[in-house]
Amino acid sequence: MGRGQGVLSVPEAQARRRRLRLDFTTPVLLGLPLAWLAVFFLVPIAIVGAYSVGRLSLDPGPHTVTLAAWHDFLHSPIYLKLFWKSVKMSLIVSIVVVALAYPLAYYLALSGTKRKYVLLLLLIAPFLTSYLLRVLAWKVILGNQGVINSFLFSTGLRSPDHPISQLLYSRFAVMLVLGYIWLPFVALPIFVTLESLDRRLFEAATDLGASRWQTFRRVTLPLSLPGVIAGFLFVFIPTLGEFVTPSLVGGASGYMYGNQIVDLFGTGFPDWQTGSVLALFLLGVVALLTIVFSRFLQTREVTAG
Amino acid sequence: MAEGTDLFERRLGRDDFLKLAAVGAGAGLLAGPAKAAEAARARLLAESGRLQVLDWAGYGNDGGQAMFAAYVKKHPKNKPQFTYMTNESDALAKMHAGLKPDIFRPYVGWVKYFAQSGLVEPWNPKLIPSFKNLNPFMVKAGQYKGKQYGIPEDWGFDAVLYRTDKVHPKAKSWSLLFDERYKGRIAWFDDLNMLVIAGLLLHIPRPWHMTDAQLEKAQKFLISKKHVARMIWASETDMDNAFASGDIWIAYAWPNDWVQMKAKKLKVAYMRPKELPVAWVGMLMLGKGTPRRRLAHAYADAWSSVPSAKWLENNYGYGHANTKARPTSSDLLRALQLTNPKAVTEPNAHLDRDIPRRAVYARKWEEVKAS
Repeated sequence: MGRGQGVLSVPEAQARRRRLRLDFTTPVLLGLPLAWLAVFFLVPIAIVGAYSVGRLSLDPGPHTVTLAAWHDFLHSPIYLKLFWKSVKMSLIVSIVVVALAYPLAYYLALSGTKRKYVLLLLLIAPFLTSYLLRVLAWKVILGNQGVINSFLFSTGLRSPDHPISQLLYSRFAVMLVLGYIWLPFVALPIFVTLESLDRRLFEAATDLGASRWQTFRRVTLPLSLPGVIAGFLFVFIPTLGEFVTPSLVGGASGYMYGNQIVDLFGTGFPDWQTGSVLALFLLGVVALLTIVFSRFLQTREVTAG
Repeated sequence: MAEGTDLFERRLGRDDFLKLAAVGAGAGLLAGPAKAAEAARARLLAESGRLQVLDWAGYGNDGGQAMFAAYVKKHPKNKPQFTYMTNESDALAKMHAGLKPDIFRPYVGWVKYFAQSGLVEPWNPKLIPSFKNLNPFMVKAGQYKGKQYGIPEDWGFDAVLYRTDKVHPKAKSWSLLFDERYKGRIAWFDDLNMLVIAGLLLHIPRPWHMTDAQLEKAQKFLISKKHVARMIWASETDMDNAFASGDIWIAYAWPNDWVQMKAKKLKVAYMRPKELPVAWVGMLMLGKGTPRRRLAHAYADAWSSVPSAKWLENNYGYGHANTKARPTSSDLLRALQLTNPKAVTEPNAHLDRDIPRRAVYARKWEEVKAS
């Protein structure tokens, strides 16, 4: 290349420098998070995958790749039944929590109260304490000699010999505590969506003769759906793999799919192969759900029509 | 004395090494080459750092300090650092995940498994002065191929604990754990031993060696009865709390739970089932290639001593392999049959033993919980 050919005009040189800067900036900015994702997400999943097919094993000796654990899992009525039980529990928790959180978020976002941020702070205040402490506090409330039963005894509504024993160490206890724990996670995205709505749409609806209920049903609710779905997913996904709450308040009947994974990796005789299969199956279902629901999270696709 | 011990236990640096070499050479000139070599060797072998102990809750700094107090007094710079295990499987998982304890405590049924696993090495009983006082039957149970892999310490029974004011058993039997009359008031133990108990109840001759068909039968029985269990406890504290608060009236329990509930003034009985209780003996095991071998032996010696043993019996209600130790309470002495050197085996109890198909049992038990 001759020297003369390399001479650029000032704007061209600036544009080239900008391009170069962009060329370097993008990989640098993306590189770190991508590397993080690769090292702490993809590699562990690959390792778990290798365990699930027997490529890695706790036992010494040669390891052959086998899909036996996958086959056993997919043909095991027990594990799939447990998964379905956990899905049902998580669905109930998510639906109930969304139903409770929506009016709360609606009030905070649209009632025009001046104290909305104070109330919002109160809503998220429990986050300032430990998760474990919040769960354990329910044991004090729900036990046979807990707050609820003691109240019933003192008011004569229940005899001390016959407390309501299903309050603790039951599926109900797990769902109640999970609902309590995750309520703010649902209320917040709904609140954000509702607060960012264009108020002129409500005025237009009123001008066009819509009642408050019609406005809610045809304008507010459809436009807030992305927040509702985000909130729903925020609860459903983590509760599906939950194991701490069930192990503390669930008892024998509140045992969930996440507990089985933990037990296979730890307290049971370690069976990392089956544990890996269960974990990957959960991951697959969650990924699928996220993909399906993610289209609803795009505001542009939601119309008030 | 303490100062000397500290110096002995310090990690050797380059300077220390040179000093040692100089001291060794000086000593060699003064006292002869053999003594000098021995002194230098002893110092080079000096062990450092905190002793890593993988043990059960209640046996560490959470209440069990009296049992290793003599060790801490002697080795204040090498205090034990505890990681807790919920059972042997949990310990195994932790070790597979990279934990390298100097000492850990599986129970007698796991001696063969761990001895074969390559995760442990045999002890040198000569380094444990209290070893001579340990129950010979239990000492033998800690051996594999003639080597002492387990130092027997605590022992006791798995049996049924129940509230005498609420529960009226039809028979002294493990069947109380499956009694429909007390549905929702029963706690099972989160361990594959539940299959063994089912096997005992179903009159399966060798419940530790069940065939596939027998195992299937035991599993089906447990699944059919699971609805009566309110909780399946992995943490003794959780079970104790539930029992004390009245959520649970009947539990698969250890003698310590009986002692604890009696201390809370609950009316309780610790049943001796007609199918016999299952007895266990805690075995301290030495991690393979431990850099603190001598310290580990000193720790085992502290645990094996008479004062530790007596404290364990008085406070936890467990027996101790040291035959010279006796509890203050004669009730406890009788209950644990501490004067019977073979209290842990037939015809008094079934001593927990190796389960050759442990992985299959574990899988079946996990399925019971998942059902």
